[in-house]
Parts: sequence; structure tokens; C-alpha cells
Amino acid sequence: MSEPVVHVSELTRRFGATTALAAVTLSLPRGAVYGLVGANGAGKTTLIKHLLGLLRAESGSVRVFGLDPVADPVGVLSRIGYLSEENDLPDWMRVDELMRYSRAFYPAWDDAYAEELRQAFALDPTAKIKNLSKGQKARVGLLIALAHRPELLVLDEPSSGLDPIVRRDILGAIIRTIAHEGRTVLFSSHLLGEVEQVADHVTMISHGSIVLSGPLDEIKESHRADGRVPSLDEIFVAHVGTAADA
Amino acid sequence: MRSPAVAIAWEFRQRHRWGLIAVAGYLLVVATIRFLIVEPGEPVLVGSLRFAAVVSVPLTTTFVYLLAVFSFGFAGDLAARQSIYPARMFTLPVTTAALAGWPMLYGTAATAVLWLAARLFAVWPSGTEIPVIWPALLAATLLAWTQALTWMPYGLPGLRVIVAVLCLAALDTVVLLAIHYKAPERLMVAILAPQIPLAYLAARYAVARARRGDVPDWRGIFARVGNIADVLTRRRDHFPSPARAQVWFEWRRHGRSLLALVGLLLPFELALLWLAKDAPAFVFEILFLVLITPPFMAAFTGWTGSKPHPNVSDSYGVPPFSATRPLTSAALIGAKLKMAMWSTLAAWGLVFVTTPLALAWSGTWLVLMERAQRMNAAIGTPRAVAFVLLILAGFIVSTWKQLVQSLHIGLTGREWLIKGSVLLTLTFLILLGPIVEWIIDSPSVQRALWDALPWILAMLVGVKMSAAAWIATRLYRSRLLGDRALVAGAACWCVAVLALYGVLVWFFSTPFVARYVLALVAILAIPLARLSAAPLALAWNRHR
Repeated sequence: MSEPVVHVSELTRRFGATTALAAVTLSLPRGAVYGLVGANGAGKTTLIKHLLGLLRAESGSVRVFGLDPVADPVGVLSRIGYLSEENDLPDWMRVDELMRYSRAFYPAWDDAYAEELRQAFALDPTAKIKNLSKGQKARVGLLIALAHRPELLVLDEPSSGLDPIVRRDILGAIIRTIAHEGRTVLFSSHLLGEVEQVADHVTMISHGSIVLSGPLDEIKESHRADGRVPSLDEIFVAHVGTAADA
Repeated sequence: MRSPAVAIAWEFRQRHRWGLIAVAGYLLVVATIRFLIVEPGEPVLVGSLRFAAVVSVPLTTTFVYLLAVFSFGFAGDLAARQSIYPARMFTLPVTTAALAGWPMLYGTAATAVLWLAARLFAVWPSGTEIPVIWPALLAATLLAWTQALTWMPYGLPGLRVIVAVLCLAALDTVVLLAIHYKAPERLMVAILAPQIPLAYLAARYAVARARRGDVPDWRGIFARVGNIADVLTRRRDHFPSPARAQVWFEWRRHGRSLLALVGLLLPFELALLWLAKDAPAFVFEILFLVLITPPFMAAFTGWTGSKPHPNVSDSYGVPPFSATRPLTSAALIGAKLKMAMWSTLAAWGLVFVTTPLALAWSGTWLVLMERAQRMNAAIGTPRAVAFVLLILAGFIVSTWKQLVQSLHIGLTGREWLIKGSVLLTLTFLILLGPIVEWIIDSPSVQRALWDALPWILAMLVGVKMSAAAWIATRLYRSRLLGDRALVAGAACWCVAVLALYGVLVWFFSTPFVARYVLALVAILAIPLARLSAAPLALAWNRHR
């Protein structure tokens, strides 16, 4: 079996008195779509920030492609495509300028694919990012994250910027395409229906701890009751509790 | 908590409780020292160094702190067009008069009480006659106008700072003139007392405008200039390397600010040359003004790198877009340093093109030539040329230094460190004038300073080199810089110090200045510690 793309071991993180991650251990093998689900404040974004090296492991270890993302940001980040939940693209740039700027950082940048995505997302290359709608900005972010055909695509709450009609098609198509190419996708969401549509594996996180992790089909099968396969929503509520803000 | 007045007061108290407790604690300590340790009734020597250290400096810092607290300066972006009054409070079911009035009442009362407490605990009885009422009124007036001017929405980014500084400086000047001409307390009260209701009306107008979202936008006037700048710097080809792309990014974000600010001020400064045809001394004052404009403006724009990013959750942290660039922290700093260099060169290019033209057209060129010939005759051509080049190089390097020297603070992303540093800088600037005046007025202090100069310089060099050694060790251990980069950086710094020392020795070949003093000056002049700390600061922020 090949080396996992992501290996997190006994990762703990505290913010003051709050424990954001409590001894989290996680391993993501290559070539699948992983859904990271949990209520708001469960620790999804904190975990993703550790994978990107934006947070330093207080205890435990984080390895992405076998590398420490804090010690070797270039080695890790050049192989990751990341779409942040925070819409922080430089709003003074034009779309084509952002594409040229981003191209410089990724040796594997594919001009033809970037152009194909730009046309598919109907983005005007001369438009300034600050003049785009929220949905268009999310599409630009997605374009930048995808155009260098990353080995690991990390999407942190990607649906927040896309309208409901296109987000299912776009996300589904892109995530499937990447997965078929042997690439890995990790995407966090608290919209469980969306996760159910595209994820092969699901990891549920609650109050900083992983409460359930495994292939989606196996999880569903193991929760079958009275011959009925429950939805991910129902499984989530069963594990995390009805009070969770899912 | 049923009253809005109580709720607003509670918020100030709750949010700044530790700062306010520290202020109260300080006053308590001063009162204890004054009444229990120092003999009661003994006059306080207001001009003494001990008084400055124990009373003047902490009191000024406290006053600046209160200005920031009651103007909501810790929460807002001073450089933004929008009011810094917290927008969340606009939706409260409270009248605009109350929104403006209560913070002003609490602020003016706090600053007045601060003065009265200090007057009672620290400067009573004093060796000299110190008034009681009008300084309290002055403190309250400065706070009220600071609130009104910072709460006002403006048409251009950064205009708030310029307007506030000019208005408060004008008010300060009136008061200083009144003190100089020994105006009686009644007159001072008559000047200051009407200011507070006027400031309240201005503040109410400002909050009302901000509350209805009425933010003027004058950026359209400069849109054409902006479009030209955009066209000139728009990227149409590919970047040869990530580092070049990052330098372009930094240039577009921060690089043009200095050029724009210098470009705005220069025409007004150079226009004064037409008024100075018959006053040669005035020509040199104008030229000095022109020369200090780039470093002065650089000090201002250097801080814009520490501006919060309103669109991200951790507004002082590195935004995720920048933090996830596949570049090392050292490379990100390198791009900032290069941008600062290009920005400096662009600003000075403008100065070097426009100033000779203005001198020639205004007919003041001859004044400059005449002075140059006199200098040539007095010290010889090589020294005269070296002197001019050294001065210009000093100004240019100082401009670059001003742009980059606060990176090690701004890039930490720690709000308390950034705001604390701004507070300290403001306090230092406020105290600088009185300290310089005190030194000028006191020959004994001048003598003592001159005698202690080598020790002071040696101590500063000791601090600088210790800090640099610590930073170099941290850089090495964290692998933020490779061995070769560290050695190359140290070698470049040594060469720069030696070169500057050589020039200084050649130029100041006089028995009155010892060579080791020149060596100490050269070591202090070339940036090292703060600059090397920038990658550490960024890494501390980027990988939290």
C-alpha cells in the first residue's frame, strides 16, 4: 500500500481553555474523496489549517506527502490546491492577473486546463475580483486551486459561495475527475447531503475528537436498522447529538 | 443594565479593564510614593529627570491610551474611509446624540480626572506654579476633537489621519502660543471651554453620517491616475519565478503608496521656492523639507503593512491566500524588502527629477550654486561631493529603512504587540519635543550627554548586537534561513559598516571625534537586528 497523503498522529491543539483538537489521529490514503463533517466549531478548519502549516502542532505530528508542512511549506503547498472558506482573494487583481500570478508558484500549472475552467465558470478575464459576486469569487478560488492539478485538493466549506443549482454539478464533476486521476480530495462541510453525494470516505469530528471515520458505504451499512439504510444526517445526529448545530 | 449610558460605560470598562486597572494602580503607586515616602510638603522638581521618568512619560502614555480607548481606536481602521465608530452600535435602539455623547462624556471625564489626579498626587506642591483647571480642559478638548475627527467618514483612505493630525496640531499650537505669551488661566479656559460642545456637535454629525452609511467617495477624482498606474503595472506576460511574482504582488499592494504620497506633497513644497527668491535661507529650508518628505512619508506608509484585513476572521494574521503561497517565509520577506527598494527609488526618482526643474524655473538655482561654490572653496571638491552624496545616500537609505523597520512588529500579527508599539511610538513622538527643548535649554544636560555619548553609543551597540546574535541563532535553529544566507547576510552587513566607517573617518578627520565613536555610529546606522527579525515574525504569524 502506498504512503498516505496525509498522516496525522495524536494531534492536540488548544486555544486558551478550549481544546480545539484532542489527540486526533487520521490517515488519508491516495485517490479518494474524503468528507470531513462536523458542527460549527467542531475543529474541521483547525485540522485543515494544521495540514496547510497555518497552525503548528502543539503536540502530536502532522505529515503531508511525508513532509512537515511547517518545516517545508514549499514542498507541501506546491502540491496542494486550497479553497478557503474565507473569501480573501486579492480583490485589486483582475482574473487574468490572478491566473498569471498563481501560475508562477506551481510548476504543474496547466494553462489549457485553467482556460477551460475559466470558460466553464464564465469568468471575464479582465474583471476585477472586487467587482465579482460571491459565487464568482468562489469560482475564481476554485479555478486557482484546480489549475495546477494538485495531488491533494483541500476545500474548506466550499459550498458557501456557490449557488445551489451549479454547486452540485461543479463540485461533483471536479471532485470526481480529480479522484479518477488518482488525486486526493479532502473537503469539509456541515452540509451532510452534499458530502453524501460526493464523498467516498467520511470522518465525523465533534468537539475536537474524531467520533466516526471510514468508507461512507461501510458506515451506512453498519448503521442499517430494520432493513433501512439511514442517511448521513441521521448517523451524524446519532453520534454527535441533537444539540449539534449541523 | 437597563440604561444605554450604563451599557456603554460597562463596555468600556469590561473591554479595557486591565488597562484601566493599570492606570489606577499607577496613580495609587505615585500617590503612595508622594505622600508616604517623599517627605510631605516637599516641592516637586517638575524639570528633573526623575520627574520625567516617574510622571511625565507614564502620564503621556496614559493620555494616549485613553485617546485610543474612548475613540474606539483599538477596534477600527484609522486609514479607512469609513468611520471608526463600531458599526455594530449603529443598530442599537439609541439616539445618535447618545451614541456620540456618552463616549465623549466618559472620555472627557476620564482625561480630566487623570490630570487632576496627577496634579494632586504627583505635582503638588511644586517648585513652579502649575495651573489646575485649563490643563484638564485641554486634555478633555483634545480627546473630544480626536473622537469627532476619527468618527467622521472621509472621502479618501488615509485622509482621517492627515485631518486629525493637522487639527490637533493647530489646537496644540494655539495653546503653546498662549503659554508662551503667559496667557492667564481665565483666557485659557475661555479658549478651551467652548471647544467641547463644538466637538460634540461635530461628533454627533459624524456619527449620524456614519449611521446612515453616508461615506463620501472622492476616489473617482483620482481614478484616472489610478487607471494609468494600473495600465503601467498590469502584468500581461508570465513571471519568470515565484519570487518575481511575489515582488509584483507586493508592489501592487504597497509599493505605490509612497510614490503617491510624495507626489501629492512635492508640488506644494516646491511651489514655495517661487516665494523664496529673495530669501536664500528659506530656499535651504524648503530643500530640507523636500528631502525629509520621502523618509517621513515612508515612516507612515511602513505601518500600512500592519493594517488589519477586514475580510478574514483573524484580521491581523496572514490571510490564508498569502499564507498558502508555496514560498518560504524568508522569500516572502525578500519580496517585501525588494518592493521597499523599488518604492524608495521611485519616490526619490520623482524628487530628483522635479526638484532641479523647480529650482531652475523658480530662479533659485543660483542660490544653490553660490552655496555649493562656497562649500567647494571651504572643504575642497572631493569632500564637498562626498558630503552631498553622503547626505543624499543617508536620506535614501533612511527612506528604505523607514519602510522596512516596522516589519518585525507588523508581521507578528499580534494585535497587542502592534497596537502597543503604535502607542509607544506616539508617546515617544509627543515627548520628543519637550525633551529636545529641555536639552537645548540646559547646558549642563548637554555637557553630561556629550560626556556620556560614547557610553550611550556603546550600550546601544551592545543591545543591537545581542539582539542580532539571538535572532541569528533562532533563524539558524528554525531553518528559516540557510547557512549560506546567514553568512552572506552577515558579510554584507560587515562590508556596509566598514564602508560607512571609512567614509566617516575620511570626512570627519578631526581630533574632536574619536574614531571608535565613528565605528559605533557606523554599526548603529546599518540596519541589522530588526530587519533580521522580520522572517521570524512572519513565521510566528504564518505557522501559529
